[in-house]
Amino acid sequence: MSRLQGPSSLKRKRPDSNSPSGSLTEHERILYDVIRSKQDMGIWTRDLKREANLPDNVVAKSLKSLLTKKLIKEVVNIQNKGRKHLMAAEFEPSKEISGGDWYVDGSLDTEFIDFLKDQFVKIIYKQRVATLEGILDVIRRSGILKVEITTQQIQEIVRVLVLDDKVMEVKSNGMGEFDSIPVGKVCFKCTNKAGLKGEPKVGAMASIPCGVCPRISYCTPDGIISPSTCVYYTKWLDF
Amino acid sequence: MVTPYGIKFSVHIITSHFGNLVAKVCEKLLTRGPLTLQLLIRFTELNSLQVKNSLLILIQHNCVQAFSAEESGGIANKQTPTQYLVLFDNILHRLRFPKFLEIVAQELDENCAELLEGLLQHGRLTQEQIYERAKSIKSGDCADQSGVQEHFRKLVNDRFIERCPAPEPFIAESTPEETPAKKRGAKATKLVEVKKTLEQRVLEEAAVMEAQRFSIMEDLETDIDAEKSKDSSSIVRLGEKRKGDLLELDGDFSFNNKEVTLWRANFEEFLRCLRHKACVESVRARLDDGAAIVLKALLKATRGAEKKVKMENSVPLSLDSIFEEVMKSEAGRTMTLDRVRASLDQLGCPSSMGIDDSYSIDLKKIIELSQNEEVESIVLNRYGRDGYRVFRLLSKAGHLLETDKISEMTFVEKKDTPKILYKLWQDEYLHMEKMVVNTKQFLLWKVNKSILCEHVLDEMYHAALNLSLRSTHEMEQHKELLNLPAGQCTGPMEKKRLWLRSVRIYLVSSLLKLDDAIMLFHDF
Repeated sequence: MSRLQGPSSLKRKRPDSNSPSGSLTEHERILYDVIRSKQDMGIWTRDLKREANLPDNVVAKSLKSLLTKKLIKEVVNIQNKGRKHLMAAEFEPSKEISGGDWYVDGSLDTEFIDFLKDQFVKIIYKQRVATLEGILDVIRRSGILKVEITTQQIQEIVRVLVLDDKVMEVKSNGMGEFDSIPVGKVCFKCTNKAGLKGEPKVGAMASIPCGVCPRISYCTPDGIISPSTCVYYTKWLDF
Repeated sequence: MVTPYGIKFSVHIITSHFGNLVAKVCEKLLTRGPLTLQLLIRFTELNSLQVKNSLLILIQHNCVQAFSAEESGGIANKQTPTQYLVLFDNILHRLRFPKFLEIVAQELDENCAELLEGLLQHGRLTQEQIYERAKSIKSGDCADQSGVQEHFRKLVNDRFIERCPAPEPFIAESTPEETPAKKRGAKATKLVEVKKTLEQRVLEEAAVMEAQRFSIMEDLETDIDAEKSKDSSSIVRLGEKRKGDLLELDGDFSFNNKEVTLWRANFEEFLRCLRHKACVESVRARLDDGAAIVLKALLKATRGAEKKVKMENSVPLSLDSIFEEVMKSEAGRTMTLDRVRASLDQLGCPSSMGIDDSYSIDLKKIIELSQNEEVESIVLNRYGRDGYRVFRLLSKAGHLLETDKISEMTFVEKKDTPKILYKLWQDEYLHMEKMVVNTKQFLLWKVNKSILCEHVLDEMYHAALNLSLRSTHEMEQHKELLNLPAGQCTGPMEKKRLWLRSVRIYLVSSLLKLDDAIMLFHDF
């Protein structure tokens, strides 16, 4: 990912390093060098001020100029979204800053994730038993995705499907529906209740008001919250 | 596990079945552990007759077991005082009587269920009393003694009823932490533990020898003798007589030293049936009908060989026998041997097991999965889809995970994850640990299964109590409506009456269903 020649070249303020930065003022140059030295980690504006050791108004002015020259960019730091975080334009935010593959502009790309989840369940349902490679193969051949996806990413999505109880992990025993899969290989199957849109079975406790009551710990037979005055019960029994 | 709401709920059951006085005695026994008559009188502030009568009722209904224990360093000659131990489980079983009756009606027949009903209603009866009751119900027309005897024998053979345990077993001196007479300290958890071990010891001592527990023969003779010497067969009177000597009553009660054999419902066998049923249904939902049929047949064949309710694995059975059993059931008649083998494989028994080709199913695992399902269902409904995912991750992982890691693995927004975790932790669904590395603080989370189960169980007792209280409340509220004769209800009144009926059915059936879940956590 690093496209940098080396840190030593940064320290010397060579005016001929590249064309747009050639026209920088001295202050802009100092700030730019500090930001660029942080590579794909970027830097928080306050840290930048401390490291550059320049007066606030100068920093503000220079940063504005650097931004308009498109030499630096603002990125969202997933660890602390409120902080203004700067990075040299040629870098892409590291995983620590961006949050990883599934994040776009500092928030989770739920639309994309949900789309993939939906597709994967369909694939697994159709294949009855699917391996990660099998899913990857189907995805590639179908061309439903415009971006490249890795087995690692597929694994992450399938793991969430397992947590959602839509899919379960099974080990191949090489027989029956597993006959094309080597023994011991981890595969995935749709759970019974999943179907395609199924919800897990509602338990005995969860199907009565107390089971889902956020105030159950405050509820006593003769208290302010009590079963005889409970509004959730009244609603539940209103038929 | 006797949790605070478990106690409240069981006291509620006793109150509604036997009234306030009995409930007061029962509550003291539940909260303070085994007590002598004197101490009970002091703690309940009732008079001695009230306490005695309450104890008689509780003993008659198998909710209290008397015992005497050797006092540490006691003098050999000194008579040890009788103590009373409340049997929490048996109080809760009172809720399950309809389920027990249904089992007998299904496995045997309605007549047997009728006999059992008498025992459930009266707690303990002699054979003679059972026959008397059967005769009076059938109002003399077709009640022939041999028929009733036959039903009785069937119940005993299938172990649905048993001889009552010894009235007052003697417990030899125990290790200091088990000493029952010891004043119970402040720590509630310790109290529960101590009581458990003591309860087990008392029950073991009191238990009738396995060979005698289900034998009828000699009993008949004693019974006939007993009949001759008896004036009436009043049930309560008999109970009083029997308990007379335990209570060291001073002459109020004339009692007869003649040994009488009392019978009662064998709760253990019913729980075993219910546990098997729960396992089969769980397998049906999770795997398929085939696996459920095989498991059902296997459990039915080995039920008699099970030594306790909480069997970790089913009793081993050979493939041939399993196949034979499957063939016996109507649903299994179409299954081939290969299909049976495949189902056993699904149930977690690989086909090449052991030398003798016998199969044993991991029942504990099935129960655990059902428990997880129940808890997860609560989490899903209370904390939403993200909470459900987070909880399942931690529950599956079984070890500590850090907040950010959890967020990454579950695809929950980084800013939302701590909130969800905190909520779950606050409601005691998660365990949290703080870790400081280079002045930076990390929070680690995990699911502690045993603490969680206890917590969920307590919430369930709470919910069961609430269902029951609400039911009482609704009936109280519309008392006058219920008291009206059916003919007078018209228009809106009739509508309201129908509504009240559905409310009652709704609440009662919810309670029965919830009780299944309680058993899942407490008895299975």
